[in-house]
Amino acid sequence: MRWNARALCAVVAALVLALTAGTGSAPTGPAAAAMQAPKEQHAITWEYPPKFSNVTVNVVGDAGHNLAPYEFWRDHFPKAGITIKIIEVPFEGVYEKEKTEFVAGSGAFDVVTFYPAYIGDFASNGYLEPLDEYMKKQPDSVWNPHQEDVLPPFRELYNKWAGKTYALTIDGDAHMMIYRKDLFANPAEQAAFKARYGRALAPPQTWDDWLRVGAFFTRKKGQQLAGQTLDRDFYGSAEFAKRGFSFAWFVDRWAASGELYFDDTMKPQINTPAAVAALQNFVDSLKNAPPDVRGYGYDELRDALLNGNVAMVVQWTDVPKKGADPSQSKVVGRLGYGRVPGLVIGGKVVHRAMMPVGRVVAVAASSKNKLAAYWVAKHIAYDMSLEDVSTAFTGLDVNRGVHFKHPEAYSDFKTTAEAASYLDRVKEALADGYPEIFIPGAAQYEDALDLHVNKALAGQETPKQALDAVAKEWTAITDRLGRQKQIELWHQALNSYKIAGLVK
Amino acid sequence: MALRLGREAAGARPRAETVRWSRRTPVLMILPAVVVLAAITLFPLLFTLRLTVLSWELTTGFPPQFIGVQNFVRVLTQDPRFWNAMANTGVLVAVGVGLQAVIGTGLALELNRLRRGRALVLSLLLIPVMIAPVIAGFQFRMILNDQYGPLNYLLDALTFGRVRGFAWLADPRVALGAVMATDVWQWAPFMTLVVLAGLQSLPGELLEAAEVDGATGLQALRRVTLPLLLPVIVIGVLVRVMDTFKLFDIVYQLTGGGPGNVTETIAYYTYLQGFKFFSLGYTAAMSFVQLVVITIVAQVFLHYQKRVRGGAVA
Repeated sequence: MRWNARALCAVVAALVLALTAGTGSAPTGPAAAAMQAPKEQHAITWEYPPKFSNVTVNVVGDAGHNLAPYEFWRDHFPKAGITIKIIEVPFEGVYEKEKTEFVAGSGAFDVVTFYPAYIGDFASNGYLEPLDEYMKKQPDSVWNPHQEDVLPPFRELYNKWAGKTYALTIDGDAHMMIYRKDLFANPAEQAAFKARYGRALAPPQTWDDWLRVGAFFTRKKGQQLAGQTLDRDFYGSAEFAKRGFSFAWFVDRWAASGELYFDDTMKPQINTPAAVAALQNFVDSLKNAPPDVRGYGYDELRDALLNGNVAMVVQWTDVPKKGADPSQSKVVGRLGYGRVPGLVIGGKVVHRAMMPVGRVVAVAASSKNKLAAYWVAKHIAYDMSLEDVSTAFTGLDVNRGVHFKHPEAYSDFKTTAEAASYLDRVKEALADGYPEIFIPGAAQYEDALDLHVNKALAGQETPKQALDAVAKEWTAITDRLGRQKQIELWHQALNSYKIAGLVK
Repeated sequence: MALRLGREAAGARPRAETVRWSRRTPVLMILPAVVVLAAITLFPLLFTLRLTVLSWELTTGFPPQFIGVQNFVRVLTQDPRFWNAMANTGVLVAVGVGLQAVIGTGLALELNRLRRGRALVLSLLLIPVMIAPVIAGFQFRMILNDQYGPLNYLLDALTFGRVRGFAWLADPRVALGAVMATDVWQWAPFMTLVVLAGLQSLPGELLEAAEVDGATGLQALRRVTLPLLLPVIVIGVLVRVMDTFKLFDIVYQLTGGGPGNVTETIAYYTYLQGFKFFSLGYTAAMSFVQLVVITIVAQVFLHYQKRVRGGAVA
């Protein structure tokens, strides 16, 4: 009895303490580093506006490193008579939070940061202030965000709706391939690959190569990799296979086929043989990935590479900057970058890189301080944008011509030449860009696609079953939202894709 | 005579008024509460009921359209994802709440035998209950993490490397179990608290009588303690069942409903329809179907509780 009582006390205390106190936050990056404002480059000329009379501007955006610019440049805003109040929301919750406040007409936000796939929803419902008049204000050095310098896909697709500008790009997202160049350059690995496959070891050009190279580099603890004995399992590749954006890694594999989400009548094109083959490739690639890859989002996928656990990933273009920063990466100087693998079409390899997420800032139509809000948005999207996209402390990616002209600003890279090489690869990735679905209802269409892609990855459905189900659900969504209206909006989106050079 | 009648009449009026006022007073006292309750309960309920017959897609900006019972038809016959979410929730209710009841009752029985330190152990046990579910979800996301989580580290150490890198949240075979384990960890202590309160209110003489009659500890537990505790356990389980139907935070934090949709609960799916897709009419219809299901389940429990309480008293 006494033993029971003591044992019970001890077991309960140990369990509760272990589970409550012993679970400090696990690192989401190799090491946390103090966040510092990047050095001001003065490559972009700008001036402060006439001082506002102490207005407060409420800024909403996804929590974490992408709101860091407001912290970097916190001294600038008081000089313009503006106090900034930041409202952070989770990455997955940005749309619902902003939409809920817009619908309620609460006027809670002045500057809204959102993913541009929702511009159709927000602009067509009148939630956003058109910016064209603000951009024309004088003097130029205060008000002009120089939209002509923004890369066409972002200017036409991210910023405009029905011919008007409603938003300014701060993050130009596209996928690129990032790989361990030291492994590919290792003579022993090259010889082993040649012996096994009868061809030279090289970064994958096609998705079939991706599977082959991935399988080659997948090794067990105790085996040799580039002359070293592994003290843990090593994997050839990893994927974003968690619910949310896993669909983008499927689209990477499908887009090079030249097909689009819908035809002119909004009939889904998502279950074609090319799409089924693409999803099958995605499913097969999990064999070469860490066992918990179905739980990998952006952070886990980045860390798998930067912690030295995998040979290659397809990721957003900000990851190489983090990979060059010793405070965040264990593989500094050992990363190479390239185009997202493609498909052989007519004897040539065609590459397409998905452009998921991205970020823009806009002024809420319900804002009481629209001019001040516009200046804040413009200050982040243009004035300080080079500093914001070149540092490893944000996840913001290049989106303007000026961002390519100053490789010296990307100081995390060891040399300017290395930074220039990175920027060249980013340029290629953007040229391969393939857009998301830019019509109202995008959240529903993409969730349905993501769910079934994820079910295929989990083995709940075959790729064919999964994509047939997506086609069926997309048809139902279109009918529910109003087929005729959706067809009109799709044609409008297609036109924007064409103007942006993303489709022919 | 006339004078007496007049005096009686004069006395009767105030008495009648007093009676009338004494009848009205409770009604007037209750009225504000009824008005407030109607405003915060009845109005939203009726408003939601109205939404169920509308097609109201906020993403399009179209005005709401009357569509009769189409939303209910879609919920009941055309949406396999709804029924998948119901099935997942059913598993969490049947197995998860069952485990909470068993573990909670077991811990309560042991705690009841403690002479010293009971308050301390109980306080420690209640820490998980006091943590917000979203935090519990975050903690378990760390604990169950394949790469950094202490659970896999312990498994690796204890099995000398034979069991390594188990993907608790990413393997479709075990992900729902991981969600369930988190919920059980958090809420089994609540059952302990409820059952312990019941144990401490049991009449001691019945157990003494059983002891005098030569019943063993196990016999006394089976024949006396548990039957007497059953009404309390049923109420505890009912509270947990209703709560599990609303399980959202842990799923949001741990898995986001994945992999695939193996951990998507009905509360999470309702949230997606309401706050991701902004399909207001359909979300309202889903909510009403859930309300009906929960009401039926609650009635079954209450009916059973009445029966066992009657049996226990008899």
